[in-house]
Amino acid sequence: MRTRQTDVLIVGGGGAGFRAAIGAREGNASAVLASKGPLARSGASPMAGADLTCHGQGMRQAGFFGEPRDSEEKFFNDIVHQGCFLNDQHLVETYVRDGPERLLETLAWGCKPRFSDERAIFTSGTGIMDAHLREAKRLGVELLEDVAVLEITKHDGVVNGALALDIHTGELIVINCKAVVMATGGWHKAYTPVTGSKELTGDGVAMGFRAGAEVGNMEFVTFACNIPLWPPVWRGSIITYVMGIMCGGTLENADRERFLEKYDPETVSIASHTEWNKSFFSNVAAQEIRAGKGSPHGGVYYVAGDTPWEAFEARVLSSYPDWKFKGADFSDMAELFRSGEGVEVAGAAEYFEGGLCVDKHFATNVPGLYAAGECAISLFGANRVAAATMEMLVTGAIAGRAAAGFAAKQSSFASNTDHLRALIKKVEAPLGRNAGSSPGRVRAKLQRESHEKLGPVRNAEEIQDLLKFVKDTQESVLPNLAPRSKTRAYNKEWIEILELENLLKVIELSAVAAEARTESRGVHYREEFPSTDNDQWLVEIVLHEKDGATKLAKRPVSVTSLVPPSGSIPYFDMVKRMMLAHSDVGGHH
Amino acid sequence: MDGEERKEAVPLEKTVNVRVRRYDPATDTDSRYDTFEVPVVHGMSVLDALDFIYEHLDGTLSYYDHAACNQGICKRCLIQINGETGLMCQTRVEGDVTLDPLPRFDVVKDLVTARGGETRG
Ligand SMILES: Cc1cc2nc3c(=O)[nH]c(=O)nc-3n(C[C@H](O)[C@H](O)[C@H](O)COP(=O)(O)OP(=O)(O)OC[C@H]3O[C@@H](n4cnc5c(N)ncnc54)[C@H](O)[C@@H]3O)c2cc1C
Ligand code: FES
Repeated sequence: MRTRQTDVLIVGGGGAGFRAAIGAREGNASAVLASKGPLARSGASPMAGADLTCHGQGMRQAGFFGEPRDSEEKFFNDIVHQGCFLNDQHLVETYVRDGPERLLETLAWGCKPRFSDERAIFTSGTGIMDAHLREAKRLGVELLEDVAVLEITKHDGVVNGALALDIHTGELIVINCKAVVMATGGWHKAYTPVTGSKELTGDGVAMGFRAGAEVGNMEFVTFACNIPLWPPVWRGSIITYVMGIMCGGTLENADRERFLEKYDPETVSIASHTEWNKSFFSNVAAQEIRAGKGSPHGGVYYVAGDTPWEAFEARVLSSYPDWKFKGADFSDMAELFRSGEGVEVAGAAEYFEGGLCVDKHFATNVPGLYAAGECAISLFGANRVAAATMEMLVTGAIAGRAAAGFAAKQSSFASNTDHLRALIKKVEAPLGRNAGSSPGRVRAKLQRESHEKLGPVRNAEEIQDLLKFVKDTQESVLPNLAPRSKTRAYNKEWIEILELENLLKVIELSAVAAEARTESRGVHYREEFPSTDNDQWLVEIVLHEKDGATKLAKRPVSVTSLVPPSGSIPYFDMVKRMMLAHSDVGGHH
Repeated sequence: MDGEERKEAVPLEKTVNVRVRRYDPATDTDSRYDTFEVPVVHGMSVLDALDFIYEHLDGTLSYYDHAACNQGICKRCLIQINGETGLMCQTRVEGDVTLDPLPRFDVVKDLVTARGGETRG
């Protein structure tokens, strides 16, 4: 067992984690960043397209074209409408205010833009991450790679450390600290297919919840649309998602009906050209699949549509030379478009609006515990159109700085040996058990259950089924799981058992909230309640643990300047109304 | 449970032999090959095949995938595939295949080599 000591521990090596670590150093705190995956090459961040959104004035300050008519107020207006008024408007103001500064520093640290539009620069996730890795190293952040934080510890109610696992060696690491910033991203691994990487298992949200933190908006999950399902090697790539915006095309169901024609043409058109695409197309594709019109692998077909093949191919090749996208080769996809067969696609879990509830300093209700990026509650409310890659930087910077301020006020490192001893026992327990079911297969079953019952379109019966499965697994399967190998080094089954507790917890919380929200809003669509109910449901569902039970509370959304609408409005009418409330600024956001 | 899960797995097109170099420094003095019969379909990756082995045939197998991006971005899934360096997530299984860890790195276990771990800024 090794020990580390630092003022601020940052949990997560994506954009939020790195920006928080930089923030902690800027606040003169020592900082250790532990990343379960490779540094700057794990989590969603390096996989992002990626866009960095910022209002037109900020774009101009940074030397880009930018829309001259744009303003902080307009960008704020648009984000709150896109979020269907479930946003915390204080946090939206922060995002709009700090974006320009985050953009400038990211460029100054060496990130290269590829092109820009009225409200965003387009670069790559790896470019953003490399810039932040360089700066964090320059500032002397201590970096731990392939190290998973398993639990945080508290002393007198205040965070005082964490227990972590070095995945390669299997050795436990005790970290003593004065504040923790959670930046662990989403819980993609609870689903299949997904666009995010495999270590995203909701650890930060589950650890925070167990430590007494409130979590909110857990019912909202964004599914990236048009994600390939087949062949297996293409599963989860965002290539066809990006193609949808850049190259056009349309969707057909198994009867070869172009089902987008059933919807309001203006809504379809706006969704096709902006990042409203995710929520709209994932929803309508799910409706077809659930109506029994799905393709053999459970999707719909993305086809070139009325665009002549030559024109379509030319557009593809201008974005992806030789049909290569990021690190993958899609050359045999061309034939599927040329022949009219199309690619089997569906929505895939990509962005999790829910997370640890935070105040304007990105502090949770647990003293010393902060959250940033995707594992914090999203400032985008019920639906995200503007960039989450900017969200991770804005929130990370504030959380890191605030955690440093908190740490400065703590006099000494408190130890908590009893709690730690109990945690070590719990973590090592599976290694001492006789082998039972395969942890990998239990996880695979959870992934299929979540995909079927907690996708873009939900109903009470399916959610209750899922909750029953989760409860049974938590109570009778999880406590008996044991890795077949007892070697500590890179023990996949052991890691999966430790992750499963968190995956089951976040899916439970998400399902509880999805069942409670008897309306449709943003990315949450309930078949039995197909309207957005602004009279009853302009509230966040907040969950916390008390005496081992999950408690649910409703909290009115926090409003600064934009008054929410009233009345109950059919879902797609509400979507259109929110789309049309966009200010007179072009671009994809 | 087993039967039900297999039915839901990919439709079988053919079976190939996947030969995997095994070595656990904690318990083994020498490395060896284990061979697994894996049902594959067109367009299945080496990583998909290893997942099948891990979930259905041998849960003690180690390969770097706890933080796999699956999209050719993280580059952590590099191993030797039929003697050539390749990404597990992007290399397709087309017939029998032999898998070894990357040469010139210490083996952590099976196909996992010591490339990450602890670094300092
Ligand atoms: C494929 C894809 C494409 C996307 N494209 C875009 C885009 O173009 N534009 C956009 O705005 N948004 C995009 N998003 C969303 C955006 O990328 C994410 O919201 C954002 O990157 C999240 O950053 P983060 O730092 O909060 O989390 P992540 O980047 O997910 O990082 C989480 C980090 O936490 C680590 N971690 C997890 N658990 C633990 C633990 N227990 N202990 C230690 N470390 C842990 C992980 O290893 C990882 O390093 C995309 C998402 C995906 C999946
Ligand atoms: S898993 Fe990331 S490159 Fe293969």
